[in-house]
Amino acid sequence: MTYRCLLQMVLLLCFSTTALSMNYSLLRFQQRKSVAVCQKLLRQLPSTPQHCLEVRMDFQVPEEIKQAQQFRKEDAVLVIYEMLQQIFSILTRDFSSTGWSETIIEDLLVELHGQMNHLEPIQKEIMLKKNCTTGDMTVLHLKKYYFNLGQYLKSMEYNSCAWTVVRVQMLMNFSFLKSLTGYLHD
Amino acid sequence: MVGTLIPQEVSSIGENHFSLIYIFPPMRFRNLQSILSWELKNHSVVPTHYTLWYTIMSKPEDMKVVKDCINITRSFCDLTHVWVNTTDMYVSRVVGFREKAELVSCMGSFFLESDRPLDPPEFEIVSFTNHISVNVKFQSVDPRILNEEELQFYLAFIEEHEGNSVKRHQPQITGNITENFNYVIDKLIPNTNYCVSVYFEPKDPRKINRSPLKCTLFQPRRESESSESATIGGIITLFLITAVFISTVMILKRIGYICLRNDFPKVLNFRKLSIWVFPELPPLEKVATVEVIHINRKKKVWNYNYDDESDVENEAAPCVNSGGYTKHGLMGRLCPASTTSASLEDCSDHSAEEPYLPEPKGDAETPMAPGPGPWQSEGTSGGYQTRGTLQQDPTSEEDSDSTERSEGRIVFNVNLNSVCVRALEDDKDSEVTLMSPSRPEETVVLEDLNETESSLLVASEERTHLPFTDPSMECLRPQDAPSDQSDTSESDVDMGDGYIVRQVNLKKFN
Repeated sequence: MTYRCLLQMVLLLCFSTTALSMNYSLLRFQQRKSVAVCQKLLRQLPSTPQHCLEVRMDFQVPEEIKQAQQFRKEDAVLVIYEMLQQIFSILTRDFSSTGWSETIIEDLLVELHGQMNHLEPIQKEIMLKKNCTTGDMTVLHLKKYYFNLGQYLKSMEYNSCAWTVVRVQMLMNFSFLKSLTGYLHD
Repeated sequence: MVGTLIPQEVSSIGENHFSLIYIFPPMRFRNLQSILSWELKNHSVVPTHYTLWYTIMSKPEDMKVVKDCINITRSFCDLTHVWVNTTDMYVSRVVGFREKAELVSCMGSFFLESDRPLDPPEFEIVSFTNHISVNVKFQSVDPRILNEEELQFYLAFIEEHEGNSVKRHQPQITGNITENFNYVIDKLIPNTNYCVSVYFEPKDPRKINRSPLKCTLFQPRRESESSESATIGGIITLFLITAVFISTVMILKRIGYICLRNDFPKVLNFRKLSIWVFPELPPLEKVATVEVIHINRKKKVWNYNYDDESDVENEAAPCVNSGGYTKHGLMGRLCPASTTSASLEDCSDHSAEEPYLPEPKGDAETPMAPGPGPWQSEGTSGGYQTRGTLQQDPTSEEDSDSTERSEGRIVFNVNLNSVCVRALEDDKDSEVTLMSPSRPEETVVLEDLNETESSLLVASEERTHLPFTDPSMECLRPQDAPSDQSDTSESDVDMGDGYIVRQVNLKKFN
């Protein structure tokens, strides 16, 4: 009886380990694909950055994001989830002055929401057992960065040039997300 | 062939319009180079020299002039060491001068990271008997640009050109990106020229960078038998897969991982909720009291003689009532010639109204329930004849009851510990004391006859018993016994010969 239970436990452990490793691989694949789709959709939004040089602003992107320092996969998950959540929040604001297609914006939001759903189980699991790590400080810096973006749009009354500047930031964010996805390895 | 990056929007001043093109040189240089080039669409007025400025969108910085591109006559500028941040958006401005007059200006924005197309890798083709093998060299791809994960989102296509028709193949790229990748194109038409091109499909389909075509003439020498061998191989593979699957299932079943049998006995079946809620108590054992009564009966001879003087033999037939007592009756009528000291009753009714007497035992402690017994029902009207009969159990160990049949009389010695005796007497003066020879510590004093007739002497567990004296017991002659039971007299009945039937009430004194 004991040996039978032991065999079952070993098999279960092996399968669970395999399942968990497959989760991160699948997550990386999904994340990369989602980032590519989002970048493609963003490029479809028309804009003239060269006409908005006067309203440019330094929003202080966290250095650890810009320079792509080494992240643990747990921290990468937390940072990615936070970025997706904040981008989703930015894109739900008033963009009527830009003339952008609502369909494209909706497709973007759907893609972001879907990717957040993929990340949420792992993100919750990490939140339950996480200690204070580097990812926490990065998340705090990201919150400040996206707060600046929101305040900038609000101060510019959501005009076209403000959205053009924010769109550039979104393109940069997805580039950062692409590099962060590389840390989701087994 | 070079890759090109078209700016998102080009603006210009003046009549002439620029076409600003950002060019990526071929990767044979194995260096990531960024070259921005431009060309005029209207050649009516041609600038003599150009100057290039640029800035970034992430910060509010002023336009910076590219030092290597000041007053240049060429129409391109190498920005490899200038535009190094691939995650930022660059805004460039090209101004054409003639003399010192500014003739044309052109601006454009470029986001290098996502807009840069992938250059096609190098490859070779080899023609075989029934197929063409395409060998793609991934070492030619700059690892700074391409990695394994990115390659998944760059679909590799191999185009097959047969005359004017183009057939596209999408090979599955697996394994290390640094290794060569081999792809086979089969189902070819003999004696036909085939051309192959390899390229990566970028995210933006507009920016496909195809490789130059490489062609070969397909001339198969003989028909291959690969189809039959492929079929046989498929069947064998299928058989192996099935065998592995079946063996795995059997092993799992053998070790008990699947299809566990639960042949539990019924007592271990806990599925019935009623068992949990209402546990069934084990059935009570039926206990029945069995008493073995040895009765020696004398053969009764029924002589059909109803004469009063007829003798009625004693019947010692102890009866056991439901109270667990054994009746000891002294039945029959003792003739005057054989008078006894025990009281007799109307024998005609004794069978129906025999009193319950305790079973004589060595340690007679059989309790008798106090209260009305069969005597009570008969003794409501004052004293009456004793109804009880003392039937002697011949098997009794205690020889308390013994009869002596002497000539002319019968003497009964009754151990009142083992019997329940009730004596009724209305005469107040009458008092009977009963003494037990065997248990002197237990005494019962007969009280006044005015005591209720319902009181019975109870042989309790405390071993109280009645002392009994012979003189109080008198014999009732048969001829003097009243025929009617109701004719019980509370007074003494002179039987003659000095015997008097006395009925007394006994009360136990603690």
